[in-house]
Amino acid sequence: MAHRGPATRLGVGAESGMGETEILEPIPELMEEMYVNMGPQHPSTHGVLRLMLKLDGEMVIGVVPYIGYLHRCHEKIGENRTYVQVIPYTDRLDYLASMYNNFGYVLAVERLMGLQVPERAEYMRVILAELQRIASHLIWMGTFGLDLGNFTIFMYCFREREKILDLFESVSGQRLNYSFYRIGGMPMDFPDSFLTECKAFLEWFKPRLPEYDAVMTDNIIFQKRVQGLGRLDQKTAIDYAISGPMLRGTGITWDLRRNDPYSIYDRFDFEIPVGSTGDVWDRYMVRRQEMAESVKIVEQALRQLPPGDIMGKVPKKLKPPAGDIYSRVESPRGELGFYIVSDGSEKPYRYKVRSPAYVNLSVLPVIGPGHLVADMVAILGSIDIVLGEVDR
Amino acid sequence: MTPEEVIEAIASRFGDAVKASEVKGVEARMDVRRERSYEILAALKEMGLDYLNCISSVDWIGAGELEAVYSLSSLGGLTKALVRVRAPREEPVIQSVVPLWSTADWHEREAYDLMGIWFDSHPDLRRILTSEDWVGHPLRKDYQDERLVPYEPA
Repeated sequence: MAHRGPATRLGVGAESGMGETEILEPIPELMEEMYVNMGPQHPSTHGVLRLMLKLDGEMVIGVVPYIGYLHRCHEKIGENRTYVQVIPYTDRLDYLASMYNNFGYVLAVERLMGLQVPERAEYMRVILAELQRIASHLIWMGTFGLDLGNFTIFMYCFREREKILDLFESVSGQRLNYSFYRIGGMPMDFPDSFLTECKAFLEWFKPRLPEYDAVMTDNIIFQKRVQGLGRLDQKTAIDYAISGPMLRGTGITWDLRRNDPYSIYDRFDFEIPVGSTGDVWDRYMVRRQEMAESVKIVEQALRQLPPGDIMGKVPKKLKPPAGDIYSRVESPRGELGFYIVSDGSEKPYRYKVRSPAYVNLSVLPVIGPGHLVADMVAILGSIDIVLGEVDR
Repeated sequence: MTPEEVIEAIASRFGDAVKASEVKGVEARMDVRRERSYEILAALKEMGLDYLNCISSVDWIGAGELEAVYSLSSLGGLTKALVRVRAPREEPVIQSVVPLWSTADWHEREAYDLMGIWFDSHPDLRRILTSEDWVGHPLRKDYQDERLVPYEPA
């Protein structure tokens, strides 16, 4: 797996005419440097990501990420489907937050066409999207704990996520790839039992958050393990266009739900948790607190949920006027953008996804070096990548 | 700074390098000449639009041109900018903006990989999503691959 990189050179044997044999001789001053492949098959890379680590003993002094193992030319497929047919493909981008991909995509097309969405559909969208954010952060927290050797939190988080998936199943019939948002509204209303079940879930979920604190946040071993790791300063964060919890971890209060409101997010009262130093610990704390804030949003939305239509007036054949739009939403991982160019036909002329994990991962060569190999696992975990979205 | 002010400042400084401009909501949209695209983007960054959201690429095969689209915004206000730069398909070279924004590194590599736009003076312009030995640029409208079977609805 490992091989000696520049630490060897042709020995004196070749020069002194001792035959064709290449004798590799170590160079003393470079002896400790070594290249190691981490991945593409590695449990902590959360998919198929290959990191070429340049090591000096146990210390990482260089990181080169190689991506594309899951590339399926999502954007080219999108160009060959009608606007409605693209929706199921967006599920497969960030498969841990499918609702949010649907949300971002239909919002972009609606903005391009100038469509109005009925009030009830907007509330349904927000309720499902925020439940999805909780589910996504739960997966993150569980697998992050697993990366660091904490198996308990993994079981806790998956237990809660199952309940959210049950709710999604009762609404859409699917547990992972929902394809539940439609351009102009929602395909069907909540089932009768949903409101009581959702409220019951929230009541059950709120006391679970202190349990996570007991296992993770207040755990001195965990604190010592992650504090000060993978520091990202604000200037670098803006230079690399970092978004989501990773940006907020550096102390910048920037959440598109508040700063560039879409849908009906301006009607809800919620806090934007921020960190201070931008290390792994801050990213953990931001996500941990965001779950509580999402609970608040869902509770408010359930209280305000109005009756009425769920599908707006949408032409049978969707043909957006010629033009282009860059539309963005705050997905659990950061700024999820869709750039859509229409030529007036029923298929997008160009369909581009700006995925938050792709951009956030690009900063790894900056924040990775200077740490131990074991800490790379924690830093990579704290970025919260989903390779389906990185590779598209 | 309003989008109208952004367009006015750029147009007065760069003159006919801005081929067309319009304001759409809070977004200032500009088509600029590629010879001066780097200077214009640098000026926009100086004005406070220092957050490069995305670089997209479009193949305008009818006009025989490839286009790079820069989405800019800031973490201070709502004003955004969309800058489009076109280059002929025979010589698709556009100045790299990696010296301005590090995030442009991977976006430009992606646009080179999938669309075949060459970003001049990019520090490490190589394929990123497809494999190193891939031939052609898949997102071009005239891309051909014998393994592709055309989709025919029943």
